[in-house]
This record gives sequence, structure tokens and C-alpha cells, in this order.
Amino acid sequence: MSEAETVLRVEELTKIYRSRRQGEVKAVDRVSFSVHRNEVVGLLGPNGAGKTTTIKCICGLIRPTSGRVWVDGVDALRHPRRALEKIAAVLEGNRNVYWRLTVRDNLEFFAGLQGLPLRNVKGYIDELIETFNLQEKVNTQARALSRGMQQKLAVACALVKQTEILLLDEPTLGLDVETSYELRRILRDLAQRGERTILLSSHDMSVVQDICDRVIIINHGRIVVDDRIENLKRLFQASAYRFEIEGHLSPKQQRRLQERFELLKITNTEERTVIEAEMLDPSRVYEVIDVLRQNGARLESVGRQYPDLEEIFLRIVRGEARK
Amino acid sequence: MRHAIVLKALVKRNFLMVVRYPFNLIAGLISLFLIFLVIFYGAQAVGGGNPAFGATLSGIVMGFMLWSFIVFAYSDLTWDFINEAQQGTLEQLYMSPLGFGWVSISHILGWLLINLITTFGMLFAMMGITGRWLNVDFLSVLPLMLLTVWGVYGFGFLMGGLALVFKQVQAAFQILQFVWLGLIAAPLDPFPLLKYAPVSWGTHLIGRVMIGGQSIFEMPASDVLFLAANSAVYFGLGYLGFKYFERMARDRGLLGHY
Repeated sequence: MSEAETVLRVEELTKIYRSRRQGEVKAVDRVSFSVHRNEVVGLLGPNGAGKTTTIKCICGLIRPTSGRVWVDGVDALRHPRRALEKIAAVLEGNRNVYWRLTVRDNLEFFAGLQGLPLRNVKGYIDELIETFNLQEKVNTQARALSRGMQQKLAVACALVKQTEILLLDEPTLGLDVETSYELRRILRDLAQRGERTILLSSHDMSVVQDICDRVIIINHGRIVVDDRIENLKRLFQASAYRFEIEGHLSPKQQRRLQERFELLKITNTEERTVIEAEMLDPSRVYEVIDVLRQNGARLESVGRQYPDLEEIFLRIVRGEARK
Repeated sequence: MRHAIVLKALVKRNFLMVVRYPFNLIAGLISLFLIFLVIFYGAQAVGGGNPAFGATLSGIVMGFMLWSFIVFAYSDLTWDFINEAQQGTLEQLYMSPLGFGWVSISHILGWLLINLITTFGMLFAMMGITGRWLNVDFLSVLPLMLLTVWGVYGFGFLMGGLALVFKQVQAAFQILQFVWLGLIAAPLDPFPLLKYAPVSWGTHLIGRVMIGGQSIFEMPASDVLFLAANSAVYFGLGYLGFKYFERMARDRGLLGHY
């Protein structure tokens, strides 16, 4: 993609916290990435990986130790206000909205806080209320809403600012399943209409897998992977096979398989054995079958494995930990 | 134009908060009013026989009006910092493209409007009940009150900044409320240096209007200018202090953590 389409660029972002008790803690370590216009990017990582710090540095809420942030060509650290014209965020662990104000009051307030005249956003506010299915609660104070509805309202209050970029920090955390899916659907629709650029953080792969085009995996403050979701899946799908046989492998067979395949998992149940092998060259499937043939093992099934992002993520994170 | 929109949004928000939860404000006003009644009638019972004491009773009415005005102004600002940081709306306020400075000024102006309404409501109630009618010359009193409270907002900002970083400032915060009372009550004549303290000089000038019957236009310009300069210095210092702590909070990632 061309440089012109980049709306958000983070360069060598580093944040070091200094405290008396723990000394220096590197929350974010030379993180660099770009987000293109209308792209939906997931920032995936375990708790404490540096996702929130990264997002807050982009919003100007945390001052990074070093590095730069560009928002649509504006140096966000030098000109935070100009950058904030283009950014709205829902932050994790916060209410984000006023509990004593009603749903509509909140939406009107946050539009006003962005400097948008009320008459220009009235129609959009009605639209948002409908999209987020909050019609019946328009005049209810936010504190009386369910957790899910409060979160929907928080996202709606970020959208009402009509900014190009939307930052969502763990938007589905703590939501019931139904609302989580509803919110995902809304975000997906939004992304498909191509109106917004979304950077979304989560430790929940299914959310990222559901909504995002691209995923940046971050662990211990560092970017481990930055790739399109299909590519990541393909990488692992192409190489994982699963064999199921009746009975058990002889020790010799086991040894031969272990010699040939580095990544191998053999699981025995009472009557069956499951062999999972990873290989870069799919024709090596026959090598496994050749080994199995030796005692005439009865093959029950052979199949390619389709790992979800969770598995990929866990492998990458574990791999990182081993280093 | 966009500044006006942000101002309007915050004024409206503050009004809505009061309308939805009038209890806090009303309870605050009632308790202040009760304290006032005890002090006023207590003072009257003790010094009532002395004809010179009349001016003191008027002073109590005026002092109480000012104290309530200042305490509300100061606590609205600091409490809202603390509350919004706790609730996680402060970070959203920080993300206004018009800047947090303008957002907090809008916030102050929003409360100021409400505060002025309640203060004058209470003043008339106090005057009605006690029968001590003061010279409420709005053209003179209002500008003097606004100039006086300007300096107090500096302390509101400073405490707000401290709260961002150190979190536990309630005790210091409450002590200051009584410092205001002391500064309002202490007469300038025996302690001329108090003139350099916040609030004192303003109280003195307001007394000259409300009790002495003077108009702001009859005062030497230097008297009013001194008040403006005094408040400007306290406001400026307080705001600088706030900016210092705010920067510290941004460095440590504390804006949203309480």
C-alpha cells in the first residue's frame, strides 16, 4: 500500500516507567507500525503486553519516553490537539461516559466536547441510537444501563465525534456473549462501509479474528508479528496434519517419527492414537503413512488441521518466551 | 465558534448534573445555612447589647455569603478532578481537540453560573431571616466577587493537579476550606500584610460595598487593580503548578488510574 494511504504511523515508540520498587519497566519497546485508511487492525496480546500504553500514547494521554506518532501526517506528540481532531477512543477499565447523564445527553455532550455543533449531529445521533439498539433507553441515565449497554454507549460516544480514526481498547472485555457479538457485528458493518479506520486492542483472539483485516501481535512490549490474518492462518494451516489410527504405535515407529518430524505430538487413548505433525512440504504426509504401514496400522482418518488464531497466537507468544 | 460549542456542552452538562441530583447541592446549602444561623444568633446573643456590634452582624452575613461562594467554587473544581479521574471520564475530557485548558475553563464557568444563582439565593434568604439588609449593588459586587474567586481557582487547579499524582489529597483539600474562612473573617486593619494573601483584599473591598455602601466606581482604581493583580498571581501560580503535576501524571501514565 502506498505511503499516502497511511493514516496512523507509530515509529519506534518506547515507554519506560520508572518506579522505586520495580526500577525500570519497559512497557513498550521500540514499537513501529502503520495503519492504512479504512483498515481494521487488531492489537493482540496478553494482559500487560503494552497494548493500552501504546493506545494512550497515540491519544496523548501518556507521554512516551521516545518515538513518534503520526496521525494523518500530523506529529501527534508535537501537535496533540490537531491530532485529536482525527482520533476518538474508548479506553479500557473506564466508564468513558457520564453515569448521571442519559444516553442522549451523553451523545450530545461528547459531540459538543469535540466542537461539533449540535444541529449538525442530531441526525447522526439518532442513527447511532438505532444502530446500537438503544432506542428504548434514550432517556435512561447511563448508570441504570446494563454493562453491555454502557459499553455500547461508550463506543457510540466515540463514534459521534465523527473522527477518521477510532481506537478501541478491549472493547468487548467483560461483556456478555450476546452483547459482545452485537458489538462485533456493529464494528464489522462500520468497517465494511469503509468510513473509519479502526485500531482495536484485545486479548481475545476471536474478537480480532472476527473484525480485523490485519493483526499486530505484541508481547512484553514488543511487536512479535504484523501480518494479515489470512496469511497467518495459511502459514500454519499448510503445515499441520492430523492422523488417527486404531491401536498403538510400536516404540520403533515412534522413534522413527520423532527422528523425522521436529514438531510432533502423539496422543494415546485406550484404543486409538492421534499423531499431529507439522511439515512445510505437504508431500511428507506419505512419510508418515510409510511409517504407519510397517505394522499394518489401520488408518481411521487423515486431515489437515485448521488452527484458529488463538493457537497461532499461543505458539508465537510461547516461542517468544523461549528466546 | 468551536470554543463556544465546548463551553455550551459543559455548561449544559453541569446544569443537567444538578437537575438530576439536586440533593447534594441542596444538602450542602442547608447545612451551610444552619451553621450560619447558629453563628449569627450566637453572636447576637453574646454581643447584642452593644450598638457597635451591628456592623459585625452584617459582616457575618456577608462573610458567610462569600465563604459559601468560594468553597463551592473551589470544591467544584477539585472534586470534579478527583471524581472524573476516578470514573474515567477525565481522559475523555483530555481528548477534546480544543484542549483541556479550555475544557476546564468551560467547566469552571458552568459551575460559576450555578454557584452565583445559589449564592445570591442564599444571601437573600439570610438577609430575609435576620433582617440585616446589605447593600446588594450587583454592578459593584459581582465584578469584585469574580475577581476574588479568580485567585481561588488557582488553588483549585493546584489541588486538582496534586490529586492526579498523589491521589490522597482530601485532607489538605478540606483544610483549605477553613483557611478560606479564616481569610474572610480576619480583619485587615490589625494585619495589613493579609492584603497579599488570597481572598482577604477582595473581602475587604466587597465589605466596603455591601456594608459601607460604597460603589466600585467610587473606589480608587488602584484598589481594584490590586485585587486583580493579587488574583492573577495566585491563579497563575496555581495553574503552573497544575501543569507541572499534569505533566508528571502523563509521564507516569496516571491520568486514568486512581
